[in-house]
Amino acid sequence: MGMIAPVTPKSWYLPSKPHKFCPGCGHGIVLKALGETIDELEIQDKVVFGCDIGCSLLAWNFFACDSTQTHHGRTTPVMVGIKRSRPELVTIGYMGDGGGYSIGSQHLLNAAVRNEKVSLILVNNTNYGMTGGQMAPTTLPGQKTETSPFGRDPELTGYPTKGPEFLAELTSDKAYVARATVAKYKQLKRFLRNALRNQMEGNGFSFVEVLSTCPTNWRTNAQQTWNFLEEEMEPYFPVGELKSPFGKGDK
Amino acid sequence: MVVFLNNEPDRIVEAFVGEYASGKSEIAINRALELKDQGRKVTLVDLDTVEPFYTLRPIKKALEEEGLNIIAFSRSDSFGLGETGAMLNPRARWALLNEGDIILDIGYGVFGAQMLNLVEGANESTDLQIIAVVNYSRPMTGTRQRIKEYVEKLGRVDAIVANTHLGNETTWSVIKEGNDEICRVAREMKIPVAYMTVDEQFRDREEMDLDMPIKYLKRYMPSAIW
Amino acid sequence: MARIMEETRKAFITGNEAVTWGALAAGAEIMFGYPITPQNEVMHYWTRLAPQYGKGFLQTEDELSAGFTVCGSVQSGKKAFTATAGPGNVLMQEPFGMAEAMRLPLFAVIQQRGGPSSGTVVYSQQEVTLTTFGGNGEGHRIVYSTASHQEIYDYTIKGFNTAWKYRFPTFLLGDGYQAKMREPLEMYNPEDRGIEMIDTYPLIGLPGHIGENREPQHLCNIYSLEEELYEVVMRVSAEYEAISPELVEYEEKECEDADIIVLSHGVVSRAADDAVKELRAQGIKAGYFRPITLRPYPQKQLREAIAKSGAKKLLIAESAYGQLDRLTKQEIYGETIKIENLFMPGVGIIDYDIISKVKSSL
Repeated sequence: MGMIAPVTPKSWYLPSKPHKFCPGCGHGIVLKALGETIDELEIQDKVVFGCDIGCSLLAWNFFACDSTQTHHGRTTPVMVGIKRSRPELVTIGYMGDGGGYSIGSQHLLNAAVRNEKVSLILVNNTNYGMTGGQMAPTTLPGQKTETSPFGRDPELTGYPTKGPEFLAELTSDKAYVARATVAKYKQLKRFLRNALRNQMEGNGFSFVEVLSTCPTNWRTNAQQTWNFLEEEMEPYFPVGELKSPFGKGDK
Repeated sequence: MVVFLNNEPDRIVEAFVGEYASGKSEIAINRALELKDQGRKVTLVDLDTVEPFYTLRPIKKALEEEGLNIIAFSRSDSFGLGETGAMLNPRARWALLNEGDIILDIGYGVFGAQMLNLVEGANESTDLQIIAVVNYSRPMTGTRQRIKEYVEKLGRVDAIVANTHLGNETTWSVIKEGNDEICRVAREMKIPVAYMTVDEQFRDREEMDLDMPIKYLKRYMPSAIW
Repeated sequence: MARIMEETRKAFITGNEAVTWGALAAGAEIMFGYPITPQNEVMHYWTRLAPQYGKGFLQTEDELSAGFTVCGSVQSGKKAFTATAGPGNVLMQEPFGMAEAMRLPLFAVIQQRGGPSSGTVVYSQQEVTLTTFGGNGEGHRIVYSTASHQEIYDYTIKGFNTAWKYRFPTFLLGDGYQAKMREPLEMYNPEDRGIEMIDTYPLIGLPGHIGENREPQHLCNIYSLEEELYEVVMRVSAEYEAISPELVEYEEKECEDADIIVLSHGVVSRAADDAVKELRAQGIKAGYFRPITLRPYPQKQLREAIAKSGAKKLLIAESAYGQLDRLTKQEIYGETIKIENLFMPGVGIIDYDIISKVKSSL
């Protein structure tokens, strides 16, 4: 039986495929949507893709676009430095929930307030994946991780960070802020496209949090993984556009 | 209502403003001592809110011993306040309540003479003279155009003191060329040049061919921290 | 490039201003910074002058961000820099480490203040260890320790060139005294002195079309295997050592017949210079040695000075508790000259201090 060659975005870097993410990980879906968006917008030559530390780092040579690795939490300032220096480039910062909401939160917050013309994509899988499944700012109440072995207790460690909600409050009307999920591919692509358009049109800061899956650290099978994403995460982290210069938000 | 000793006959109230490192503190100290030597009662006020603990502080005691009333932070005031951030001495705010002459040494900053908004009664005082100190060897006031732009930004300026020098590399030609340029700008701007200041080492040397009075400066600031 | 100075001219300025004017003259395009005393006037004057020359500036949220935005900016091909001090220098070790790892032409000015912790805002030489060997790496950095405003101006221009020529992060190590002191210097355009400014170039955001006439750039600073990293560090170490002889700079006076050599760096070397002159006038055979580059260190030249003089003692004077001392000892390991110390952490050293110490040591 012959193999069917998968259709891959032109902006993917094929020598780095197959990619290194775990089976069932949501990163591949986000990066496919992003690759197709880069193709559709015809910006492959202008993109600078920056990766944080953590699982997002595995994307460092994912695209046939100029790419750079940074440090944990520091992708935002590196992208800001590039964009401030070369406004004609399209800067995409790619990070996890730990990098964006914890160690790099001051950069995220201030870049948003300053309306930096960068596009940031934050993958929320409710834990630190690469370092072995520790509690993240986005870990749900009661959720077990290696550093919340009895389940996250909000009395001790607070409630999960709602990133798009606080960024929407902080930003000007020129910002784009949305939360997508790997469970809704078309919507995810639309949000990513809007986030890139918003930068390309010179409006300002763009941010998309993407709800994603981490079966390896969740220790879930396929059905349980999807259930957690759709039935546990989505009710807590509502999906939709919280702020868009392109008209009415898409809830 | 607070009553200020405004418009008291012969009272001298002078505020020295100008570029960073233009010589304001040195000139303010020398002016205060000059007035004191005339038998007047003088208060010298450090209004540098940028580096408040590092300007007059180290020489405060020495100046007090010379007979000046000094309003500046002293070493004990600065304990635990290591940063040189914007700090206003409450006594400076009410400086004009002091009897006698008042010499205000204003720190540099983008707000220029607006610093005087922080001194109660200053803007209402009819005695107040705002004097801009200009050193042509300072790059920000190193061309006629730059002096003009700089002085305009300061706000109200009643007179200019020409203080061109190059530290220990000062020569007569540096002084003359620089102060000549300052005078030309001042004429264009219709601001009088009150006098020029020259280091005392030039005393009794050849006379300057400039139509303005000279005051010789004794250097106190090298004993300050910065 | 637009000429910054209409003509070479003497000026009377502070050290922080000398950084700003030097950076302008060097063709720096953008500064990223965060307020900390005693370097603030670098930013104050950059922000006043930047619009006149079409330069960029961003006040970031902290020193981490200031350092990383510089990393991003130089990756995109711009001549970018920052300035900091004390606790800011501590935070910047993270981006400085990235610049080391990725060989980024980052240039930073450090105006040392008192430490540890917030210390004082005034002065010290306590950031020697941090600036030369900070971070989780091997100290692959170039550090110029200046002693006058003229040097601040000259080495700011040179620092950008060194960074872009060799692609090692490059530092100008000053201090609070130098930052705030006022003295005359000569400001010039580099081209008027025959100094050729090294062209900058992007590492990412390259021209051309990916897949047609160029490959995508994937810049890496983390490795999967020990062996990969080992090879990188060994290669970079070899490169650093190879260029070190052409980078080292030092100043030596009166060492030919010296009985005691006074070793100091930065602003303290001004006092050492005066002290040696005075000691010589008094008939005491004192010599003067000053490393200008603390990384790489002029260890060969110092060993030669010790050898040719036959000096019996080396007096290391610094406004720190032994940071230059440790650096020097590791660099001249094996020398048997007796080492004396004048450690005055966080306070200034004047010629009198050194003269007294020399006399009591002999």
